[in-house]
Amino acid sequence: MRHEKNIAESRATRGSTADTVASMSILQVRNLKVSYAASGPQILKGIDFAVDGEDFCAVIGPSGAGKSTLIRCINRLVEPTEGDIVLFGQSVRPLRGSELRHLRRRIGMIFQEFNLVNRMSVMDNVLSGRLGYTGAFRSFFKAFPREDIDRALHLLERVGLQDHVDKRADALSGGQRQRVGIARALMQKPEILLLDEPTSALDPKISRDVMRLIRELATEFKVPVLCNIHDVQLALESCNRIIGMQDGYKKFDGPSKGMRKQDLDEIYAMEVL
Amino acid sequence: MALASLQSIPAAPRRWSRYRHPQSTIRFAVLLAVLTFLAWSVAFLNVDLLRILGAFPRLAEILATRYFPPDLNYVSDADFIRSVIRTLEMSLLGGFFGVVFSIPLAWLAARNITFSRRIAYPLGRFAIMGSRSIHETIWTILFVTVLGFGMLAGTLALTVFCIGFAGKLFSDELEAIDMGPVDAMRSVGASPLQVFQYAVLPQVRVAFTGIAIYTWDVAFRAATVVGFFGGGGMGWYLKRTTQQLESTRVAAILLVIIALVLIAEIGSGWLRRRISRMR
Ligand SMILES: Nc1ncnc2c1ncn2[C@@H]1O[C@H](COP(=O)(O)OP(=O)(O)O)[C@@H](O)[C@H]1O
Ligand SMILES: [Mg+2]
Repeated sequence: MRHEKNIAESRATRGSTADTVASMSILQVRNLKVSYAASGPQILKGIDFAVDGEDFCAVIGPSGAGKSTLIRCINRLVEPTEGDIVLFGQSVRPLRGSELRHLRRRIGMIFQEFNLVNRMSVMDNVLSGRLGYTGAFRSFFKAFPREDIDRALHLLERVGLQDHVDKRADALSGGQRQRVGIARALMQKPEILLLDEPTSALDPKISRDVMRLIRELATEFKVPVLCNIHDVQLALESCNRIIGMQDGYKKFDGPSKGMRKQDLDEIYAMEVL
Repeated sequence: MALASLQSIPAAPRRWSRYRHPQSTIRFAVLLAVLTFLAWSVAFLNVDLLRILGAFPRLAEILATRYFPPDLNYVSDADFIRSVIRTLEMSLLGGFFGVVFSIPLAWLAARNITFSRRIAYPLGRFAIMGSRSIHETIWTILFVTVLGFGMLAGTLALTVFCIGFAGKLFSDELEAIDMGPVDAMRSVGASPLQVFQYAVLPQVRVAFTGIAIYTWDVAFRAATVVGFFGGGGMGWYLKRTTQQLESTRVAAILLVIIALVLIAEIGSGWLRRRISRMR
């Protein structure tokens, strides 16, 4: 696997025991702080955690806790104000231009609102997951290499959309659209998946189907997952580790089995309703 | 539970008004100031409403006696028809280049997707606003003084005019896009050009086509007078006949302009409706 090679490399270059232990994690977040405006409120107030190779890690917490902000910092859709993010042994914050794009293409992201291009076909939406690996000339003429097209068809079949390949994205139902989103992320051959409430826009039954599919595929492709979920029940069912957030602070971090009612009460203490 | 929390809501305040004290006073003062200014202007300019109303019958009378009948032979002349075709050509060229140049400028001038808010954004805005702030006839005069009489000056003036016109509409359209797909394409590692092609263009393509057609329509209207200032095309005939007081010829030319502009407007409206249905 690619990230294993990467870890091996960073181990070789650094060598010290402490670093070797630290670089076992695919993702490390240290003392992360974010404010959207220089004079505005601090949204993340110093978050620390690490994600390992086998983690299927849920981030739970009331809305407004900063879950989306946290996950969007990791691929720099949001700029952190303070702290460190180390991904695949590489510090994320100093990256610029093509370095940043090269990092981003190794990170798959799935969004709450799917974020498909509605006026493009399902196939083109899935193929666009390869853009980071596609040259300017090929992408301009939408001439993706044969193996990308084969992979797209394979993934579409895998998520159960083989009969919708040429439909426009906005002709699909919510659950189907999110499956396109999943296929697009997997086109990248991602080494980590970031999911921002992938099922919050879906009804409960479909939510569980989509979550199960994501779990299956993550296991099949051996990708670690960091997943925001609002629905605690769904998080406990589908994830093996839980990070609880409240108002910009991490309030809980541990295996989902060890989570007690009082931990949940604490995380959701601020939420009215 | 829900019931209990509903009952515990404190009683609503009894007095409510849409605008609170400072706001309502300011609104009233502004309205009063505007009205006062209007009344004062009417009085100062000595605007005589009866005379304005009386102008319409007089206008009709002058049109009937001096401009009638329009000299249709004059506008069937081959030279004149050639100048109409040149006017059309200028509007097409100016519209085309204007649209082509205004798209990258609009990209810079769209706050949400610009390369940098500090440098690119103000540059794009400045270019578009600069083109808009000067009237197309003044652009024509400027280009004629630099390049001499003829179609080149006219075409350039129309291009600059179209950059301002289309650039503003394009950048407004870009600022209204859904940023979700943009986030998605950025997060797969796409380059700025790829993000534009895959996430932005599909959202604005239909609107852009409509705007481009509308731009041509407006450019054509502007092209008919560009010649008046030496920019080439049929406007020159208008200038010559008005200066020599050949009123029936002027009438014929004006009729041709009205007819052509109407045709252009109806045609472009029809095309735009067809395209907007493709959404
Ligand atoms: N682009 C933004 N600009 C300014 N404030 C934002 C932005 N995005 C989110 N926020 C603020 O950050 C806080 C946390 O938001 P978010 O990370 O979306 O929380 P969650 O995903 O847990 O609901 C909220 O108070 C929200 O208003
Ligand atoms: Mg969120």
